Amino acid sequence: MYGGDEVSAIVVDLGSHTCKAGYAGEDAPKAVFPSVVGSIDQMEIDDADNSDKNSGSGPESKSKGKRKLYVGSQDLGFRRDHMEVLSPTKDGIVVDWDMVENIWDHALRKCLLVDPKEHPMLLAEPCSNTQQQREKTAEIMFEKYQVPALFLAKNAVLTSFASGRATSLVVDCGGGSTTVAPVHDGYVLQKAVATSPIGGEFLTDCLLRSLEHKGLSIKPRYAFKRKEIRPGEFQIVDLDFPNTTESYKLYCQRVIVGDIKECVCRAPDTPYDETSYSNIPMTPYELPDGQTIEIGADRFKIPDVLFNPSLVQTIPGMESFVETASSARGLPQMVIESINKCDVDIRRELFSSILLAGGTASMQQLKERLEKDLLEESPQAARVKVLASGNATERRFSVWIGGSILASLGSFQQMWFSKSEYEEHGASYIQRKCP
Amino acid sequence: MEAVVVDAGTKLLKAGFAVPDQPPSMVIPTQMKQVPEDESSTDASLLENVIVDPVVRGFIRDWDAMEDLLSHVLYTGLGWEIGNEGQILFTDPLATPKAVREQLVQMMFEKFNISGFFASEQAVLSLYAVGRISGCTVDIGHGKMDIASVIEGAVQHISSRRFEIGGLDLTNLFAQELRKSNPLVNFSISDVEKLKERYASCAEDDAAYQKIQQACPEEQHTLPDGQVIKIGRERYTVGEALFQPSILGLELHGIVEQLVRCISTVSSENHRQLLENTVLCGGSASMTGFEDRFQKEASLSSSAIRPCLVKPPEYMPDNLSKYSAWVGGAILAKVVFPQNQHVTKADYDETGPSIVHRKCF
Repeated sequence: MYGGDEVSAIVVDLGSHTCKAGYAGEDAPKAVFPSVVGSIDQMEIDDADNSDKNSGSGPESKSKGKRKLYVGSQDLGFRRDHMEVLSPTKDGIVVDWDMVENIWDHALRKCLLVDPKEHPMLLAEPCSNTQQQREKTAEIMFEKYQVPALFLAKNAVLTSFASGRATSLVVDCGGGSTTVAPVHDGYVLQKAVATSPIGGEFLTDCLLRSLEHKGLSIKPRYAFKRKEIRPGEFQIVDLDFPNTTESYKLYCQRVIVGDIKECVCRAPDTPYDETSYSNIPMTPYELPDGQTIEIGADRFKIPDVLFNPSLVQTIPGMESFVETASSARGLPQMVIESINKCDVDIRRELFSSILLAGGTASMQQLKERLEKDLLEESPQAARVKVLASGNATERRFSVWIGGSILASLGSFQQMWFSKSEYEEHGASYIQRKCP
Repeated sequence: MEAVVVDAGTKLLKAGFAVPDQPPSMVIPTQMKQVPEDESSTDASLLENVIVDPVVRGFIRDWDAMEDLLSHVLYTGLGWEIGNEGQILFTDPLATPKAVREQLVQMMFEKFNISGFFASEQAVLSLYAVGRISGCTVDIGHGKMDIASVIEGAVQHISSRRFEIGGLDLTNLFAQELRKSNPLVNFSISDVEKLKERYASCAEDDAAYQKIQQACPEEQHTLPDGQVIKIGRERYTVGEALFQPSILGLELHGIVEQLVRCISTVSSENHRQLLENTVLCGGSASMTGFEDRFQKEASLSSSAIRPCLVKPPEYMPDNLSKYSAWVGGAILAKVVFPQNQHVTKADYDETGPSIVHRKCF
C-alpha cells in the first residue's frame, strides 16, 4: 500500500501521435511532443566519427547496429542526414521498447525535469493492451526508473472521469486509430470495444495525396530559404539535401498538412457527394514558404472519410489503403455496433452519454454530424446525446486530464501498485491491482 | 514597508524594493567565493578560494549558498531587521520543477521567517513590464534561454521551450576564438566576460556575416594586467552563434526559427496576438545589433507568422531588457500583496510548502 504524501504524481499518456506528460492536479500537460523518434543507424555512417560513440560495445552491436535516437519536437525538427522517423508502436502494440524508454526519458528528465524515483507514475494505456505489455511496462518502470508506485489506467476510463461520469460510451478519435469503448462504473466492457484504423494521421495522408494529385507540392520547412534580394522583395531559394530520408520528408510534410487540416477542414452536415460540393468557394491557406493554396471540396471530403470509409476509393493516390478502408466501418456504425454488444439495461444510459475525445474530435461540426447520424440510426426510444468539451484543448487532452484528476483524488491513493508489492508478488500482480 | 522583489539569475541577482519605474537597487553577481572558516590554518597555499555558483542554468541548486547570499541581500543590502521581515516576491524561470519551488518557499518561511511570499514566472513578468498580458518572450540569460508564449497571464507550456545555452556558452566561445587569434596572451574567464559585454555584436544579416568572416577591421584592447590583444571578427562570431547555433556545435535552429516553430503549435487564432507582442529580454539580448538582426530575420518568415517586437513604455528606465523580469515583479508585487493573494505565514503553517502551487501560478 502506498500512501500518497505531498509529492504529486506524474501522469503520462503515450498516444499514437503525441505523448502528453505532466503533473497530476494541473489542468493541462506541460510536455507535449510527437511520439515518433528520429533514428540514425550508426552502421551507415563512416566509422571515423563513431569510434568514441560506440565505445564499449564493439562486436555484439554488429547485428542491430548502434543507433542514436532523437526525441522531441526540437530534435526532430532539425534535419539530419540519414535520419529515419520511426514509431515505437504498430496498431497499438509496442514493438520497440528501447524507443519507448527514450520517449519516457525525454518526457521526465528533459521536459518536466523530475526524478522518477520521487514521483508515483500514472500511465494511460489503450483498451486492448495485452497482459504481456502491461507486465513489461511494470518491469521497466520499477527496475529502470525505480518509481515508488505505478498505476495503469485505460484511456476510455480516464476520459470518462474527465467528464465526471462513471458510465459512458467513449469515442476516442486519435491520431493512429479510432476506438469506441463503453465504460460502465469505471470498467471497460472489453467485448464491446470497437476499433478502426482510420484516425487523424490517415486523414492527413488523404489530404496530402489529394493535394499532390492536384499538382500542389508541399515543401518541407528545411527545403527552402527566404532571401531578401532587395528591400521589401523576397525570393524563395530551394535547398537540396540529398541525404534526407523519405520518412523524414514525409514526416515534415505531414506536420504542415496536419496544420492545414486543423485550420480548414470541417465535417459536412450531410454525407459527401461530388456534385453538391463541386461549387463551393475555395478557402486560401498560406504555406510556410509563402505559397498560397486554395482548398475547396477537400475541406468536406476528407472529414467525411470518418463517417464513410469507402470514400477513400475516390481519393487519387490512396489506392493502397482501399483494403484497410473497406474493412473499416464508419463512426456511427461503430457506435451502434458497440452499444448493441452491451447489456440491454445499460444501453439507454450509454446512448445518452456519448463522449467525444481525441485530437481529431476537435474538428469543427463533428459533434453535430455524429449526433445527427446517430439519431437516424438508433432505436426510436433512445435519447441520443453526444457530449464534447467546448474547449479544443480539453478534447485533445481529455485522457491526460482524466489521469490528472484520478491521481489527485484522495480516495485513489490506496489503489497504487507500490514498489514493495512489485517486489513481493512480481509483475503479474498488476493484473489484479490495475483492472 | 514595501515588498522586496528578487530575481535570482545565473550571473546577476537583482533585488530591491517594489518601486516599479526604477531599476532594481541591488544588482550583484550571484557567484560567490567560499572562504574557509578555519582561519588558523598555517599553510597559506591551501587557503584556496573556491568559487560557488548557487544558481546553475537558471535553477537554484546550492541551497546553503543561496541562503547566505539572500541574508546578505536582505539584511545588509536592503536593510531588513531580524524579527521584522517583510514580504518577498521571487521570479521563476520556465519549467521550474515543483520540488525547487517548494524548497524555496520552505527556506524563506523557516530560515528567514518572512511574512508573505509570492512567486511568478519570468515570462509573465517581462510582459507586465512592457504593459501587456499576452505575447511571447525571448529571454536570453546567462545560463539558459527561454522562449515562452503567454496568453492572458498564463504561460502556455505546450508552446514554450527552454534551451540550455546562454551568455555563459557565448563567453566560452569568445574565449576560444580569442585564444586562437591571440595565442600568446593569457586571460581569465572574467576578463573575457567583460570583453564580451563591451565588444560582442551581431552582423546585419547572413550575407554581411560571411563578408566579415573574410575581412574585418581589428581593434586593440589593453587588459587590466597590461597585455594587449587584438579583437576582430571574433566579436561577430559571438553574436552570430545565437542565430546559427551550429557555431557552438549544437544541432539547433536559430532563435527566430525556434520562435516561429513554437508559435505554430498554438492554435492559429492566437498567433496574431502572440507575435505582435514579442519581447526580448535578458542580458545577452542587449548585445549591439541584436534587435535589428532579430527584426530582419523575422521579416523573412511568412507573413502569417511574423514576430514583431514591442517598444517599452517611455516611463520605464533604459536598458529595460536587462531587468524586465524584476520590473514586472515590482508591478505585480504592488497588486498581489495589498490584495492578500500571497502565501501568508498562516497558510504555510497550515498546509506546508505545497501551498505555493495553489496560490502562485
